[in-house]
Amino acid sequence: MKNHTIQRYLGNFARGLILLFFLLVVLVPIYWMVITSFKTNAEIINTQEITYFPRTVTTDNYVQLFRLYDYRSMLANSLIVSVSTGLCVTFLSILGGYGLARYSFRGKDTMLLFFLVTQMIPGILVIIPLYVIFAKLGLINTRLSLFIFYVIANLPFCAITMRSFFERIPYTLEEAAYVDGCSKLKSLITIVLPVMFPGIVAVFVFAFIGAWNELIAGTIFINTSDLWTVPVGLKSLIGKYDVRWGVLMAGGVCALLPTAIMFAFMQKFVVEGLTSGAVKE
Amino acid sequence: MGILVFYLALIAVACAFGIVFINKRTGKKSLFRVSNSMQRKAEPYLFLLPVMLLLLLMFGYPLINSFIMAFQNYKLTSPGRIYFNGLENFRNLLSETDISLIIANSFAYVVISVLGQFILGMTLAMALNKQFPFRGIYQALVFLPWSFSAFVIGLMHRWSFNGEYGVVNDVLLRLNIISSKIAWLGTPGFSLAVVIFAMIWMGIPFFAIMILAALQSIPKDVYEASYIDGCGPLRRFFKITFAYIKPTVIVTILLRTIWIFNSFDLIVIITNGGPANFSQTLPSYMYTKAFSSYDFGLASALGVLLMVTLVVYVTVFLKITKYNKAGNF
Repeated sequence: MKNHTIQRYLGNFARGLILLFFLLVVLVPIYWMVITSFKTNAEIINTQEITYFPRTVTTDNYVQLFRLYDYRSMLANSLIVSVSTGLCVTFLSILGGYGLARYSFRGKDTMLLFFLVTQMIPGILVIIPLYVIFAKLGLINTRLSLFIFYVIANLPFCAITMRSFFERIPYTLEEAAYVDGCSKLKSLITIVLPVMFPGIVAVFVFAFIGAWNELIAGTIFINTSDLWTVPVGLKSLIGKYDVRWGVLMAGGVCALLPTAIMFAFMQKFVVEGLTSGAVKE
Repeated sequence: MGILVFYLALIAVACAFGIVFINKRTGKKSLFRVSNSMQRKAEPYLFLLPVMLLLLLMFGYPLINSFIMAFQNYKLTSPGRIYFNGLENFRNLLSETDISLIIANSFAYVVISVLGQFILGMTLAMALNKQFPFRGIYQALVFLPWSFSAFVIGLMHRWSFNGEYGVVNDVLLRLNIISSKIAWLGTPGFSLAVVIFAMIWMGIPFFAIMILAALQSIPKDVYEASYIDGCGPLRRFFKITFAYIKPTVIVTILLRTIWIFNSFDLIVIITNGGPANFSQTLPSYMYTKAFSSYDFGLASALGVLLMVTLVVYVTVFLKITKYNKAGNF
């Protein structure tokens, strides 16, 4: 019996160590980025001594980011593209997910297979011909091009996720509404969607984060600085001879904040959505 | 031609919405006066029409295009001279000087990243599988990298592994592990290692989330029975825990392998393939080829090869693991 208690104690201790290890693994790089963003440039490029806490705390990097590099317009572009992508994907996923969850029909398996295939194709393989198509349509260097690409890139996964959220809601709920004389659309809007609200928000977060974090398509479809999204704009800062690490880190911190806050608040639903969307039992 | 297709598609989408909503609102009276059962049969298609149309138009159509481009002399720098050239793109591709190096890089990058993410993610999930104080907050913090953009993660690592001002060199020097600063991003081998390190860091949460969910779905009484039967911890892990989470592990590894193979923003940010292609993988090389020399034909040929590789990989993987339910991804 005593042996057993010791074993349990050791087990808990080991588990605590493992948990501490992973916490440090995640937090240390973030700490380093945040710390760098508050250092003066002289302190950052001091090869003699690397400081683990800024000797002089300065917000200079953030001021420069907004003043010299027009970060405000990058943020605005990113927000416009990501919010509209999120809304559009959510709306289309509600329709598609409902169709997939509540009906069985000919071609359904093919459709699901097609969704799966879209997840396997290298994005760049689609971006190249899309570049040609967008150029013909005059869409290169517009926010619309990014919007279209981000919608199609995030739609399949979100529709599948939405489907499994629908499947969790008992059909009897809707049937009861039909018996009461409710039309299909009305029961969907007034009864099913409110119950699904967490799932809907999770899908919006998926699409928003997907669009917000994307870099490659941004560098290809956009070529003037007034339309740069945050990643594209910040990438242009690396290419220069004199890399301003403080400013870059400040930009990184600002880029992470919206998605990190969203994730922290929606963590439970996002995790639920990830697991239900990816693995169906 | 392109514009026409685009507008037609827009109109079709608009019509689809119209039909769906008018039909819903008017109930039995259908817009096209089709019979009730016909309408019911059409319903799922109407719900899925916008999604499918968009995907076919903006995903399927470009994909077919790139398959055609793979067999064409298609250089954006000379748009007047586009013609079919058979297998020349593929021949050119295989005679590129660094192609074997790039293939080897891709292989190492994918295998080490997936293994690292899997082992670490599984460890984290097992540790998280018991209740402890502040677990909610802990999870929110430790899963945070999932929401981070590869771009910022790349910046973070590029800065930390900076040869002159980087913190990694400083720590290693203080611990007396190395005696002089290492130019991580400028040394063959090390540059790819940094990319892999960043990729593992980025992917641990996803593996942990998936495996944790699977662990929590294991019924508790199976464990109780194993205690009564006097089953040892190792045997319990392999015969119960791993047996239960195996389907999840298989699907997660499958999806992640493909995802990691295809994603190259970390490479673009951290090393840009350097030094001299030593951290270049096939997709990042394709990106470089397409948008530095604008040789879309060659890039598409490479893309087609990538797709074939992935299809073969998926088929073989599913055969070996005897898993036949991956259709429900």
